[in-house]
Amino acid sequence: MTVEHDIEAMDQFPVGMRVLAVDDDQTCLRILETLLHRCQYHVTTTDKAQTALELLRENKNKFDLVISDVDMPDMDGFKLLERVGLEMDSPVIMLSAHSDPKYVMKGVKHGACDYMLKPVRIEELKNIWQHVVRKSKFKKMKSIVTNGESEGNSDQNGVRANRKRKDQSEEEDEDEEEEEEQERGNEKKPRVIWTRELHNKFLAAVDHVGVKNAVPKKILELMNVDNLTRENVGSHLQKFRLALKKINNEANMAAANSHFTQMSSLKGLGSFHHYRPTPLGSSQFHGGAATMRHYPSNRTFAGMFPHFKSSLPRNHNDGGYMLQGKPFPSLETLHITNNNNNKAFPSFTSPQSSPLVASSNHLVLEGHQQSSFPSFSPHLEINKRLEDWSNAVYSNNIPQSNVHSKPDALEWNMDTTKTTSFCRDTDFGSSNAAQADFLDPFQMKQQHENILDPMTVAELSRSSSADEGLFMGQQKLENNFMASDAGSLDDIVNSMMTQV
Amino acid sequence: MNTVVAQLQRQFQDYLVSLYQQGFLDNQFTELRKLQDEGTPDFVAEVVSLFFDDCSKLINSMSRSLERPENVDFKQVDSGVHQLKGSSSSVGARRVKNVCISFKECCDVQNREGCLRCLQQVDYEYKMLKTKLQDLFNLEQQIVQAGGAIPQVNIN
Repeated sequence: MTVEHDIEAMDQFPVGMRVLAVDDDQTCLRILETLLHRCQYHVTTTDKAQTALELLRENKNKFDLVISDVDMPDMDGFKLLERVGLEMDSPVIMLSAHSDPKYVMKGVKHGACDYMLKPVRIEELKNIWQHVVRKSKFKKMKSIVTNGESEGNSDQNGVRANRKRKDQSEEEDEDEEEEEEQERGNEKKPRVIWTRELHNKFLAAVDHVGVKNAVPKKILELMNVDNLTRENVGSHLQKFRLALKKINNEANMAAANSHFTQMSSLKGLGSFHHYRPTPLGSSQFHGGAATMRHYPSNRTFAGMFPHFKSSLPRNHNDGGYMLQGKPFPSLETLHITNNNNNKAFPSFTSPQSSPLVASSNHLVLEGHQQSSFPSFSPHLEINKRLEDWSNAVYSNNIPQSNVHSKPDALEWNMDTTKTTSFCRDTDFGSSNAAQADFLDPFQMKQQHENILDPMTVAELSRSSSADEGLFMGQQKLENNFMASDAGSLDDIVNSMMTQV
Repeated sequence: MNTVVAQLQRQFQDYLVSLYQQGFLDNQFTELRKLQDEGTPDFVAEVVSLFFDDCSKLINSMSRSLERPENVDFKQVDSGVHQLKGSSSSVGARRVKNVCISFKECCDVQNREGCLRCLQQVDYEYKMLKTKLQDLFNLEQQIVQAGGAIPQVNIN
């Protein structure tokens, strides 16, 4: 179907809908043809399945709908159905004199949109256009998802798409997101203002490749931001690394916190394990946190916790970072989802989690130490802040080592090239926090660069899903995060970022 | 003239109703008649003609399949019956369709005798219907030739 044709047809749809009718019985075919004409469809008939396939292959868009008999001598109607489904993806309606449910079932299994019994009545044919609409709507949705991402359309689309697909395989999402990033990533224009948003992206990118492997070029690609040069990224990265070292050192000092005990038990945050930088925006957040993905870019670990509670202002609007006003998904959820697929960050339940979060943050910061979170104190503070997050899960999660390390946050960060709010990259969990904020913890992390291997961080954040949440919350904490120890981080972050 | 037309129309109507009442035709035939309009004045005649052609062909092939008792291709017979059932139900040939139902049952149990009987019955029924409808179309033609319109018959 040409576009013009589509437009024309759609104007009067369903009038003029193009139907291909296939039936070896000439009597039935003639009747069907007349009935369809009566419905004002455009009809083409053939009594051979093979001819039908040829007609369809000739021009995949030639017909809107296919109606086919089941029992045909040259080809089983079900086979035709399959072929059409595979090759053209047009809606197919089966027609048969068999009312046996097993045939109906077979039809459904082979992908038929509908199964009609002979004799066909005109009333039934009057409604068949619904299948065309349904199918094209579905296709459109799919193509929006893929096109949006591949064309680098508004981030919103991409993110939304990602969220929509969060239920679909993460990998798909991630792949697409990555692809998207790469596809879009190479425009370079000078841009030197490191806003939180930008920093969040940076963090996401770093997480993705790993702090150790972070090279400006890759980061730039992953960030997929216009007007950014490799040099910009390079110098920023350098600062970041320094900050991270500093953070790590500080984090280590802060450790001794009862809150952290729990965390420590995590042992390297088993739960946090593996922070997988997954592109932001991937559906990871699920657990209800899908929306969390976009964290208000300000503050805190923008990338760390993908799921920030809504309290954080959201800069990015794609889709929904839950942070704003949405409860964090329970940690459990996050946790679980993490396990499954970097899904959204677990909801961080409240206060409880905060410590955990903190710890996780800490972990994140610490970089991997997967084993203990020495300095949680800053986190603690943050955690407290995160109180409003319902982090029940978080607390639960902490002990769980299976938190999939791939922090959704990462994914989250990563994929939303646009979502600046997440800085998910770092495990900080605060994923979106504005880059600036995010930097702080992240910086800390960074400081302990060794510890905070991005992956680790990711893991941490992941596992701690709560962490993620926490970070999110942290974002909320406007610059409060890591209060105590954060001070240094704040400084670091702030220094790194241009306060916006 | 009017009386002639009116008379013919009356005849037509009665005849058609009797066909329904005797079970030769069912609602589907009514639907086919509805599809006929000025644009397709011979629609019904065309369709039933196609149907009778199909009947003839299918019956012949089934007859061949059932011919030799030791080598009956029931699958082919079944396929033929199935198609006949489909087309008869589509045109509204009620009696033919009903025979097909019994015919299928015989086929399912591979009852050759039963199949042969059904085959015979199908043959009889379709030919009977063919004659009846032919009479009906003739009446229609007479009405038209007399300048009248074919009446819309409402079958309860």
